[in-house]
Amino acid sequence: MSNENQQSLVSSLYERFLKNPWPYYTGAVILAVLNVALLAASGKPWGISGIFNYWGGMIVELFGGSVENWLFFKNPKHLKLLHKGFWGNPGSVRDFAIIIAALMTSLLAGQFKFKMIKSWRQFAAAVIGGLFMGYGAMIAFGCNIGGLFSGTASMSLHGWVFMVFIFLGGLVGSKILVKYLL
Amino acid sequence: MEKKQSSIAAARAARRAARAKENEANQKKASKKGKIQITLGVLLFIAIIITGYVLKVNVSSKSALMWVFGISFGVTLQRARFCFTAAVRDPALTGSMSLAKSVLIAIGIATIGFAAIHYANGDPSTAKLAKGAYYFVKPVGLHTAVGAFLFGIGMVIAGGCASGTLMRIGEGFMMQMITLIFFICGVLLGFANRPFWKDKIFFKPVHFPKEFGWVPALFLQFVLLFLCFLTVEYISRKRKQKK
Amino acid sequence: MQEKELDCLGEACPIPLVKAEKAMNTLEVGDLLIISIDHSCAMKNLPEWARDNGHNVEIEETGEGQWEVFIEKCK
Repeated sequence: MSNENQQSLVSSLYERFLKNPWPYYTGAVILAVLNVALLAASGKPWGISGIFNYWGGMIVELFGGSVENWLFFKNPKHLKLLHKGFWGNPGSVRDFAIIIAALMTSLLAGQFKFKMIKSWRQFAAAVIGGLFMGYGAMIAFGCNIGGLFSGTASMSLHGWVFMVFIFLGGLVGSKILVKYLL
Repeated sequence: MEKKQSSIAAARAARRAARAKENEANQKKASKKGKIQITLGVLLFIAIIITGYVLKVNVSSKSALMWVFGISFGVTLQRARFCFTAAVRDPALTGSMSLAKSVLIAIGIATIGFAAIHYANGDPSTAKLAKGAYYFVKPVGLHTAVGAFLFGIGMVIAGGCASGTLMRIGEGFMMQMITLIFFICGVLLGFANRPFWKDKIFFKPVHFPKEFGWVPALFLQFVLLFLCFLTVEYISRKRKQKK
Repeated sequence: MQEKELDCLGEACPIPLVKAEKAMNTLEVGDLLIISIDHSCAMKNLPEWARDNGHNVEIEETGEGQWEVFIEKCK
Protein backbone atom coordinates (compact mmCIF):
# COMPACT_ATOMS: atom_id res chain seq x y z
CA MET A 1 0.00 0.00 0.00
CA SER A 2 2.67 2.50 1.03
CA ASN A 3 4.76 1.38 -1.89
CA GLU A 4 1.88 2.22 -4.16
CA ASN A 5 1.58 5.64 -2.58
CA GLN A 6 5.25 6.29 -3.11
CA GLN A 7 4.96 5.20 -6.68
CA SER A 8 2.19 7.68 -7.29
CA LEU A 9 4.15 10.43 -5.52
CA VAL A 10 7.14 9.83 -7.78
CA SER A 11 5.02 9.77 -10.88
CA SER A 12 3.10 12.89 -9.90
CA LEU A 13 6.35 14.73 -9.20
CA TYR A 14 7.68 13.52 -12.54
CA GLU A 15 4.55 14.70 -14.33
CA ARG A 16 4.70 18.04 -12.64
CA PHE A 17 8.37 18.94 -12.98
CA LEU A 18 9.75 16.94 -15.88
CA LYS A 19 6.81 16.10 -18.13
CA ASN A 20 4.34 18.96 -18.14
CA PRO A 21 5.59 22.40 -19.08
CA TRP A 22 6.12 24.91 -16.30
CA PRO A 23 4.03 28.09 -16.29
CA TYR A 24 5.57 31.02 -18.17
CA TYR A 25 5.64 33.13 -15.01
CA THR A 26 7.70 30.50 -13.20
CA GLY A 27 10.18 30.61 -16.07
CA ALA A 28 10.26 34.41 -15.94
CA VAL A 29 11.10 34.49 -12.24
CA ILE A 30 13.80 31.81 -12.52
CA LEU A 31 15.42 33.43 -15.55
CA ALA A 32 15.46 36.83 -13.83
CA VAL A 33 16.99 35.42 -10.66
CA LEU A 34 19.59 33.52 -12.69
CA ASN A 35 20.48 36.63 -14.68
CA VAL A 36 20.98 38.63 -11.47
CA ALA A 37 23.06 35.81 -10.01
CA LEU A 38 25.15 35.71 -13.18
CA LEU A 39 25.83 39.44 -12.97
CA ALA A 40 26.78 39.12 -9.30
CA ALA A 41 29.03 36.13 -9.93
CA SER A 42 30.80 37.20 -13.12
CA GLY A 43 30.31 40.95 -13.45
CA LYS A 44 28.46 40.61 -16.74
CA PRO A 45 24.79 39.92 -17.38
CA TRP A 46 23.51 37.20 -19.69
CA GLY A 47 24.18 37.43 -23.40
CA ILE A 48 24.22 34.90 -26.21
CA SER A 49 24.99 36.19 -29.68
CA GLY A 50 28.33 37.89 -29.01
CA ILE A 51 29.79 34.44 -28.34
CA PHE A 52 28.99 33.43 -31.92
CA ASN A 53 31.96 35.58 -33.02
CA TYR A 54 34.18 33.02 -31.29
CA TRP A 55 32.26 30.07 -32.72
CA GLY A 56 32.69 31.56 -36.20
CA GLY A 57 36.39 32.07 -35.55
CA MET A 58 36.74 28.50 -34.28
CA ILE A 59 35.07 27.08 -37.38
CA VAL A 60 37.22 29.15 -39.73
CA GLU A 61 40.40 28.18 -37.89
CA LEU A 62 39.30 24.56 -37.89
CA PHE A 63 39.33 24.67 -41.68
CA GLY A 64 42.74 26.31 -41.72
CA GLY A 65 41.58 29.88 -42.23
CA SER A 66 43.04 32.88 -40.52
CA VAL A 67 41.06 35.29 -38.37
CA GLU A 68 43.78 37.75 -37.35
CA ASN A 69 42.51 40.37 -39.78
CA TRP A 70 38.97 40.29 -38.51
CA LEU A 71 37.87 43.37 -36.67
CA PHE A 72 36.66 41.34 -33.72
CA PHE A 73 39.96 39.54 -33.26
CA LYS A 74 42.08 42.68 -33.69
CA ASN A 75 41.28 43.12 -30.02
CA PRO A 76 44.07 41.03 -28.43
CA LYS A 77 41.79 40.05 -25.54
CA HIS A 78 39.37 38.42 -27.96
CA LEU A 79 42.14 36.63 -29.86
CA LYS A 80 43.58 35.29 -26.64
CA LEU A 81 40.20 33.99 -25.55
CA LEU A 82 39.65 32.38 -28.96
CA HIS A 83 42.86 30.43 -28.57
CA LYS A 84 41.77 29.10 -25.21
CA GLY A 85 39.51 26.86 -27.27
CA PHE A 86 35.88 25.84 -27.06
CA TRP A 87 35.90 24.73 -23.43
CA GLY A 88 38.29 27.38 -22.19
CA ASN A 89 35.91 30.11 -23.31
CA PRO A 90 33.31 30.52 -20.53
CA GLY A 91 30.71 32.15 -22.78
CA SER A 92 31.00 29.42 -25.34
CA VAL A 93 30.52 26.81 -22.61
CA ARG A 94 27.42 28.66 -21.45
CA ASP A 95 25.85 28.77 -24.92
CA PHE A 96 26.62 25.12 -25.59
CA ALA A 97 25.17 24.15 -22.21
CA ILE A 98 21.78 25.54 -23.29
CA ILE A 99 21.66 23.04 -26.17
CA ILE A 100 22.65 20.14 -23.92
CA ALA A 101 20.21 21.14 -21.19
CA ALA A 102 17.32 21.32 -23.65
CA LEU A 103 18.30 17.92 -25.03
CA MET A 104 18.35 16.47 -21.52
CA THR A 105 14.98 17.86 -20.43
CA SER A 106 13.23 16.86 -23.65
CA LEU A 107 14.67 13.33 -23.29
CA LEU A 108 13.60 13.16 -19.64
CA ALA A 109 10.10 14.15 -20.68
CA GLY A 110 10.18 11.44 -23.35
CA GLN A 111 9.45 14.15 -25.91
CA PHE A 112 12.57 14.27 -28.02
CA LYS A 113 11.94 13.98 -31.72
CA PHE A 114 14.32 14.59 -34.56
CA LYS A 115 12.54 16.97 -36.86
CA MET A 116 13.71 17.23 -40.44
CA ILE A 117 13.29 20.31 -42.58
CA LYS A 118 9.90 20.13 -44.20
CA SER A 119 10.29 22.24 -47.31
CA TRP A 120 12.57 24.55 -49.25
CA ARG A 121 10.58 27.44 -47.95
CA GLN A 122 11.38 26.44 -44.39
CA PHE A 123 15.05 26.13 -45.32
CA ALA A 124 15.03 29.58 -46.89
CA ALA A 125 13.32 31.01 -43.80
CA ALA A 126 16.03 29.50 -41.59
CA VAL A 127 18.81 30.96 -43.77
CA ILE A 128 17.36 34.45 -44.10
CA GLY A 129 16.16 34.54 -40.51
CA GLY A 130 19.57 33.48 -39.23
CA LEU A 131 21.43 36.07 -41.30
CA PHE A 132 19.07 38.89 -40.30
CA MET A 133 19.30 37.97 -36.64
CA GLY A 134 23.08 37.70 -36.63
CA TYR A 135 23.61 40.97 -38.47
CA GLY A 136 20.95 42.77 -36.47
CA ALA A 137 22.26 41.54 -33.14
CA MET A 138 25.78 42.72 -33.88
CA ILE A 139 24.99 46.23 -35.06
CA ALA A 140 22.43 46.72 -32.28
CA PHE A 141 24.81 45.39 -29.58
CA GLY A 142 22.70 42.50 -28.40
CA CYS A 143 20.02 39.97 -29.20
CA ASN A 144 16.83 39.31 -27.29
CA ILE A 145 18.90 38.29 -24.31
CA GLY A 146 21.73 40.82 -24.33
CA GLY A 147 19.63 43.67 -25.70
CA LEU A 148 16.05 43.17 -24.65
CA PHE A 149 16.49 41.32 -21.35
CA SER A 150 19.86 42.35 -19.95
CA GLY A 151 20.07 45.72 -21.74
CA THR A 152 16.69 46.95 -20.59
CA ALA A 153 17.21 45.58 -17.09
CA SER A 154 20.47 47.56 -16.91
CA MET A 155 18.35 50.70 -17.38
CA SER A 156 20.13 51.53 -20.60
CA LEU A 157 18.38 53.45 -23.35
CA HIS A 158 19.66 51.01 -25.97
CA GLY A 159 17.56 48.24 -24.41
CA TRP A 160 14.41 50.32 -24.66
CA VAL A 161 15.06 51.39 -28.25
CA PHE A 162 15.75 47.73 -29.03
CA MET A 163 12.41 46.74 -27.52
CA VAL A 164 10.42 49.23 -29.61
CA PHE A 165 12.05 48.27 -32.89
CA ILE A 166 12.09 44.54 -32.31
CA PHE A 167 8.35 44.81 -31.87
CA LEU A 168 8.02 46.65 -35.19
CA GLY A 169 10.32 44.09 -36.84
CA GLY A 170 8.17 41.35 -35.38
CA LEU A 171 5.07 42.88 -36.98
CA VAL A 172 6.74 42.93 -40.41
CA GLY A 173 8.10 39.43 -39.84
CA SER A 174 4.61 38.15 -38.99
CA LYS A 175 3.24 39.65 -42.21
CA ILE A 176 5.99 37.93 -44.22
CA LEU A 177 5.37 34.66 -42.37
CA VAL A 178 1.63 34.67 -43.00
CA LYS A 179 2.12 35.60 -46.65
CA TYR A 180 4.97 33.31 -47.68
CA LEU A 181 5.41 30.53 -45.15
CA LEU A 182 1.90 29.37 -44.51
CA MET B 1 -21.43 21.22 -21.08
CA GLU B 2 -21.07 17.52 -20.41
CA LYS B 3 -22.30 16.66 -23.85
CA LYS B 4 -19.74 19.02 -25.40
CA GLN B 5 -16.83 17.45 -23.54
CA SER B 6 -17.90 14.03 -24.69
CA SER B 7 -17.53 14.83 -28.39
CA ILE B 8 -13.82 15.42 -27.79
CA ALA B 9 -13.63 12.32 -25.61
CA ALA B 10 -15.25 10.21 -28.32
CA ALA B 11 -12.82 11.44 -30.97
CA ARG B 12 -9.88 10.84 -28.63
CA ALA B 13 -11.00 7.31 -27.83
CA ALA B 14 -11.49 6.48 -31.50
CA ARG B 15 -8.05 7.71 -32.39
CA ARG B 16 -6.43 5.98 -29.47
CA ALA B 17 -7.96 2.70 -30.55
CA ALA B 18 -6.75 3.22 -34.12
CA ARG B 19 -3.23 3.90 -32.90
CA ALA B 20 -3.24 0.86 -30.65
CA LYS B 21 -4.26 -1.26 -33.62
CA GLU B 22 -1.47 0.21 -35.73
CA ASN B 23 1.08 -0.38 -32.98
CA GLU B 24 -0.06 -3.95 -32.65
CA ALA B 25 0.38 -4.45 -36.35
CA ASN B 26 3.89 -3.05 -36.15
CA GLN B 27 4.54 -5.06 -33.01
CA LYS B 28 5.98 -2.22 -31.06
CA LYS B 29 5.02 -0.61 -27.82
CA ALA B 30 5.01 3.15 -27.52
CA SER B 31 5.60 3.08 -23.78
CA LYS B 32 8.78 1.06 -24.13
CA LYS B 33 10.26 3.58 -26.52
CA GLY B 34 9.49 6.36 -24.07
CA LYS B 35 11.49 4.57 -21.38
CA ILE B 36 14.57 4.53 -23.58
CA GLN B 37 14.44 8.30 -23.86
CA ILE B 38 14.14 8.72 -20.11
CA THR B 39 17.12 6.41 -19.56
CA LEU B 40 19.15 8.42 -22.05
CA GLY B 41 18.06 11.58 -20.26
CA VAL B 42 19.27 10.25 -16.92
CA LEU B 43 22.59 9.21 -18.48
CA LEU B 44 22.95 12.68 -20.00
CA PHE B 45 22.24 14.21 -16.59
CA ILE B 46 25.10 12.20 -15.11
CA ALA B 47 27.34 13.18 -18.04
CA ILE B 48 26.50 16.85 -17.43
CA ILE B 49 27.58 16.59 -13.80
CA ILE B 50 30.81 14.84 -14.79
CA THR B 51 31.48 17.47 -17.46
CA GLY B 52 31.09 20.21 -14.87
CA TYR B 53 33.56 18.48 -12.58
CA VAL B 54 36.06 17.89 -15.40
CA LEU B 55 35.79 21.54 -16.47
CA LYS B 56 36.50 22.66 -12.93
CA VAL B 57 39.53 20.42 -12.55
CA ASN B 58 41.01 20.53 -16.05
CA VAL B 59 39.95 23.81 -17.59
CA SER B 60 38.94 26.60 -15.25
CA SER B 61 36.46 27.28 -12.52
CA LYS B 62 35.02 30.10 -14.66
CA SER B 63 34.15 27.62 -17.40
CA ALA B 64 32.62 25.28 -14.84
CA LEU B 65 30.58 28.14 -13.40
CA MET B 66 29.29 29.08 -16.85
CA TRP B 67 28.46 25.43 -17.51
CA VAL B 68 26.23 25.47 -14.42
CA PHE B 69 24.60 28.73 -15.48
CA GLY B 70 24.09 27.57 -19.05
CA ILE B 71 22.49 24.32 -17.94
CA SER B 72 20.20 26.20 -15.56
CA PHE B 73 19.19 28.67 -18.27
CA GLY B 74 18.63 25.86 -20.75
CA VAL B 75 16.52 23.77 -18.38
CA THR B 76 14.35 26.76 -17.52
CA LEU B 77 13.94 27.85 -21.15
CA GLN B 78 12.94 24.37 -22.29
CA ARG B 79 10.77 23.40 -19.34
CA ALA B 80 8.81 26.65 -19.34
CA ARG B 81 8.83 26.80 -23.16
CA PHE B 82 10.10 30.31 -22.61
CA CYS B 83 10.33 32.00 -25.97
CA PHE B 84 11.30 35.64 -26.37
CA THR B 85 10.23 35.50 -30.00
CA ALA B 86 6.68 34.54 -29.11
CA ALA B 87 6.63 37.23 -26.43
CA VAL B 88 7.29 39.91 -29.04
CA ARG B 89 5.28 38.36 -31.84
CA ASP B 90 2.13 36.94 -30.28
CA PRO B 91 0.25 39.95 -28.87
CA ALA B 92 -0.26 41.30 -32.39
CA LEU B 93 -0.32 38.02 -34.32
CA THR B 94 -2.51 35.79 -32.15
CA GLY B 95 -3.65 37.90 -29.22
CA SER B 96 -1.76 35.76 -26.66
CA MET B 97 -0.12 37.93 -24.08
CA SER B 98 1.03 35.71 -21.24
CA LEU B 99 4.59 35.37 -22.59
CA ALA B 100 4.93 39.08 -23.27
CA LYS B 101 3.87 39.81 -19.72
CA SER B 102 6.27 37.17 -18.42
CA VAL B 103 9.17 38.85 -20.20
CA LEU B 104 8.19 42.22 -18.72
CA ILE B 105 8.08 40.63 -15.26
CA ALA B 106 11.50 39.07 -15.81
CA ILE B 107 12.89 42.45 -16.85
CA GLY B 108 11.33 44.06 -13.80
CA ILE B 109 12.82 41.55 -11.36
CA ALA B 110 16.22 41.69 -13.06
CA THR B 111 16.16 45.50 -12.93
CA ILE B 112 15.95 45.43 -9.14
CA GLY B 113 18.81 42.97 -8.83
CA PHE B 114 20.99 44.72 -11.42
CA ALA B 115 20.43 48.10 -9.81
CA ALA B 116 21.39 46.75 -6.40
CA ILE B 117 24.57 45.15 -7.72
CA HIS B 118 25.56 48.19 -9.76
CA TYR B 119 24.81 50.51 -6.86
CA ALA B 120 26.93 48.49 -4.47
CA ASN B 121 29.85 48.19 -6.87
CA GLY B 122 30.13 51.71 -8.13
CA ASP B 123 29.95 55.37 -7.43
CA PRO B 124 26.24 56.16 -7.57
CA SER B 125 26.73 59.83 -8.42
CA THR B 126 28.74 59.22 -11.57
CA ALA B 127 27.53 55.68 -12.17
CA LYS B 128 31.11 54.52 -12.52
CA LEU B 129 31.84 50.96 -11.59
CA ALA B 130 34.62 49.30 -9.71
CA LYS B 131 37.08 47.44 -11.87
CA GLY B 132 35.91 44.02 -12.96
CA ALA B 133 32.23 44.91 -12.94
CA TYR B 134 30.41 46.00 -16.06
CA TYR B 135 27.35 47.88 -16.99
CA PHE B 136 25.52 46.54 -19.94
CA VAL B 137 25.11 49.99 -21.40
CA LYS B 138 25.81 50.27 -25.11
CA PRO B 139 25.80 53.05 -27.69
CA VAL B 140 22.34 53.92 -28.88
CA GLY B 141 21.38 55.29 -32.25
CA LEU B 142 20.09 54.43 -35.67
CA HIS B 143 22.09 51.19 -35.62
CA THR B 144 20.08 50.03 -32.59
CA ALA B 145 16.81 50.68 -34.43
CA VAL B 146 17.91 49.06 -37.68
CA GLY B 147 19.53 46.11 -35.91
CA ALA B 148 16.53 45.44 -33.69
CA PHE B 149 14.17 45.76 -36.65
CA LEU B 150 16.17 43.22 -38.69
CA PHE B 151 16.42 40.97 -35.65
CA GLY B 152 12.66 41.13 -35.21
CA ILE B 153 11.99 40.07 -38.80
CA GLY B 154 14.61 37.33 -38.63
CA MET B 155 13.44 35.75 -35.41
CA VAL B 156 9.82 35.56 -36.51
CA ILE B 157 10.51 33.89 -39.84
CA ALA B 158 13.16 31.57 -38.39
CA GLY B 159 10.87 30.64 -35.49
CA GLY B 160 13.21 31.50 -32.65
CA CYS B 161 15.75 34.02 -31.45
CA ALA B 162 19.23 33.23 -30.14
CA SER B 163 18.09 31.45 -26.98
CA GLY B 164 15.21 29.77 -28.81
CA THR B 165 17.49 28.56 -31.60
CA LEU B 166 19.91 26.94 -29.15
CA MET B 167 17.10 25.39 -27.14
CA ARG B 168 15.37 23.99 -30.22
CA ILE B 169 18.58 22.45 -31.53
CA GLY B 170 18.58 20.51 -28.26
CA GLU B 171 14.99 19.46 -28.92
CA GLY B 172 15.97 18.04 -32.31
CA PHE B 173 15.00 20.69 -34.83
CA MET B 174 17.03 20.41 -38.01
CA MET B 175 15.73 23.80 -39.14
CA GLN B 176 17.29 25.60 -36.20
CA MET B 177 20.68 24.03 -36.91
CA ILE B 178 20.60 25.77 -40.27
CA THR B 179 19.49 28.93 -38.53
CA LEU B 180 22.44 28.73 -36.14
CA ILE B 181 24.95 28.33 -38.98
CA PHE B 182 23.63 31.41 -40.73
CA PHE B 183 23.21 33.24 -37.44
CA ILE B 184 26.96 32.85 -36.97
CA CYS B 185 27.59 34.10 -40.53
CA GLY B 186 25.34 37.08 -39.82
CA VAL B 187 27.20 37.83 -36.60
CA LEU B 188 30.57 37.82 -38.37
CA LEU B 189 29.20 40.09 -41.09
CA GLY B 190 27.51 42.39 -38.60
CA PHE B 191 30.58 42.83 -36.43
CA ALA B 192 32.75 43.58 -39.46
CA ASN B 193 30.20 46.18 -40.46
CA ARG B 194 30.16 48.02 -37.17
CA PRO B 195 32.62 50.76 -38.32
CA PHE B 196 30.21 51.63 -41.13
CA TRP B 197 27.47 52.33 -38.60
CA LYS B 198 29.86 53.92 -36.15
CA ASP B 199 31.14 56.54 -38.59
CA LYS B 200 27.67 57.71 -39.41
CA ILE B 201 25.24 57.38 -36.61
CA PHE B 202 26.55 56.13 -33.30
CA PHE B 203 25.49 58.09 -30.28
CA LYS B 204 26.85 57.84 -26.79
CA PRO B 205 25.40 55.23 -24.44
CA VAL B 206 22.62 56.55 -22.25
CA HIS B 207 22.40 55.13 -18.75
CA PHE B 208 19.33 56.28 -16.84
CA PRO B 209 20.93 56.31 -13.36
CA LYS B 210 23.75 58.48 -14.65
CA GLU B 211 21.37 60.92 -16.30
CA PHE B 212 18.73 61.18 -13.62
CA GLY B 213 20.10 59.56 -10.43
CA TRP B 214 19.20 56.14 -9.10
CA VAL B 215 15.74 56.69 -7.64
CA PRO B 216 14.29 58.68 -10.55
CA ALA B 217 15.86 56.17 -12.95
CA LEU B 218 14.18 53.25 -11.19
CA PHE B 219 10.92 55.17 -11.12
CA LEU B 220 11.17 55.88 -14.86
CA GLN B 221 12.07 52.25 -15.55
CA PHE B 222 9.00 50.90 -13.80
CA VAL B 223 6.71 53.50 -15.34
CA LEU B 224 7.98 52.41 -18.77
CA LEU B 225 7.52 48.74 -17.90
CA PHE B 226 3.98 49.46 -16.76
CA LEU B 227 3.27 51.30 -20.01
CA CYS B 228 4.55 48.26 -21.90
CA PHE B 229 2.20 46.10 -19.83
CA LEU B 230 -0.74 48.28 -20.83
CA THR B 231 0.35 48.31 -24.47
CA VAL B 232 0.54 44.51 -24.54
CA GLU B 233 -2.91 44.29 -22.98
CA TYR B 234 -4.32 46.82 -25.47
CA ILE B 235 -2.81 45.16 -28.55
CA SER B 236 -3.92 41.66 -27.49
CA ARG B 237 -7.46 42.73 -26.73
CA LYS B 238 -7.74 44.56 -30.01
CA ARG B 239 -6.43 41.49 -31.84
CA LYS B 240 -8.97 39.24 -30.12
CA GLN B 241 -11.89 41.48 -31.05
CA LYS B 242 -10.89 41.31 -34.69
CA LYS B 243 -12.07 38.06 -36.21
CA MET C 1 -21.19 17.81 -36.29
CA GLN C 2 -18.18 18.15 -38.49
CA GLU C 3 -14.70 16.92 -37.74
CA LYS C 4 -11.72 18.53 -39.40
CA GLU C 5 -8.11 17.42 -39.29
CA LEU C 6 -5.07 19.62 -39.65
CA ASP C 7 -1.61 18.17 -40.14
CA CYS C 8 0.98 20.58 -38.79
CA LEU C 9 3.79 18.07 -38.25
CA GLY C 10 7.13 19.69 -38.92
CA GLU C 11 5.72 23.20 -38.83
CA ALA C 12 7.39 25.74 -36.60
CA CYS C 13 5.68 28.13 -34.27
CA PRO C 14 3.41 30.06 -34.90
CA ILE C 15 2.23 28.35 -38.08
CA PRO C 16 0.10 25.68 -36.31
CA LEU C 17 -1.72 28.41 -34.42
CA VAL C 18 -2.31 30.61 -37.46
CA LYS C 19 -3.56 27.63 -39.45
CA ALA C 20 -5.78 26.54 -36.58
CA GLU C 21 -7.30 29.97 -36.34
CA LYS C 22 -8.07 30.01 -40.06
CA ALA C 23 -9.62 26.56 -39.85
CA MET C 24 -11.69 27.54 -36.82
CA ASN C 25 -13.21 30.41 -38.76
CA THR C 26 -14.56 27.98 -41.36
CA LEU C 27 -16.17 25.72 -38.72
CA GLU C 28 -19.54 25.94 -37.03
CA VAL C 29 -20.21 25.89 -33.29
CA GLY C 30 -20.01 22.32 -32.06
CA ASP C 31 -17.53 21.23 -34.74
CA LEU C 32 -14.27 19.58 -33.83
CA LEU C 33 -10.79 20.49 -35.06
CA ILE C 34 -7.95 18.01 -34.58
CA ILE C 35 -4.42 19.36 -35.08
CA SER C 36 -1.34 17.14 -35.16
CA ILE C 37 1.80 18.93 -34.02
CA ASP C 38 5.36 18.06 -33.11
CA HIS C 39 6.52 21.49 -32.02
CA SER C 40 7.11 21.52 -28.29
CA CYS C 41 6.07 25.16 -27.94
CA ALA C 42 2.86 24.74 -29.91
CA MET C 43 1.73 22.04 -27.45
CA LYS C 44 1.60 24.79 -24.86
CA ASN C 45 0.52 27.89 -26.76
CA LEU C 46 -2.11 26.25 -28.97
CA PRO C 47 -4.27 24.95 -26.08
CA GLU C 48 -3.72 28.22 -24.24
CA TRP C 49 -4.91 30.21 -27.23
CA ALA C 50 -7.98 28.00 -27.72
CA ARG C 51 -8.96 28.22 -24.05
CA ASP C 52 -8.38 31.96 -24.17
CA ASN C 53 -10.87 32.22 -27.01
CA GLY C 54 -13.49 30.25 -25.13
CA HIS C 55 -13.27 26.86 -26.85
CA ASN C 56 -13.11 23.42 -25.29
CA VAL C 57 -9.67 21.95 -25.72
CA GLU C 58 -7.83 18.78 -24.85
CA ILE C 59 -4.37 17.54 -25.72
CA GLU C 60 -3.11 14.01 -26.14
CA GLU C 61 0.46 12.82 -26.49
CA THR C 62 0.42 10.44 -29.44
CA GLY C 63 4.11 9.67 -29.57
CA GLU C 64 7.51 11.01 -28.58
CA GLY C 65 7.39 14.74 -29.10
CA GLN C 66 4.14 14.45 -30.95
CA TRP C 67 0.71 15.61 -29.90
CA GLU C 68 -2.87 15.89 -31.06
CA VAL C 69 -4.81 18.94 -29.97
CA PHE C 70 -8.60 18.63 -29.95
CA ILE C 71 -10.47 21.91 -30.16
CA GLU C 72 -14.22 22.07 -30.05
CA LYS C 73 -15.63 25.31 -31.32
CA CYS C 74 -17.85 26.80 -28.61
CA LYS C 75 -18.63 30.24 -29.93
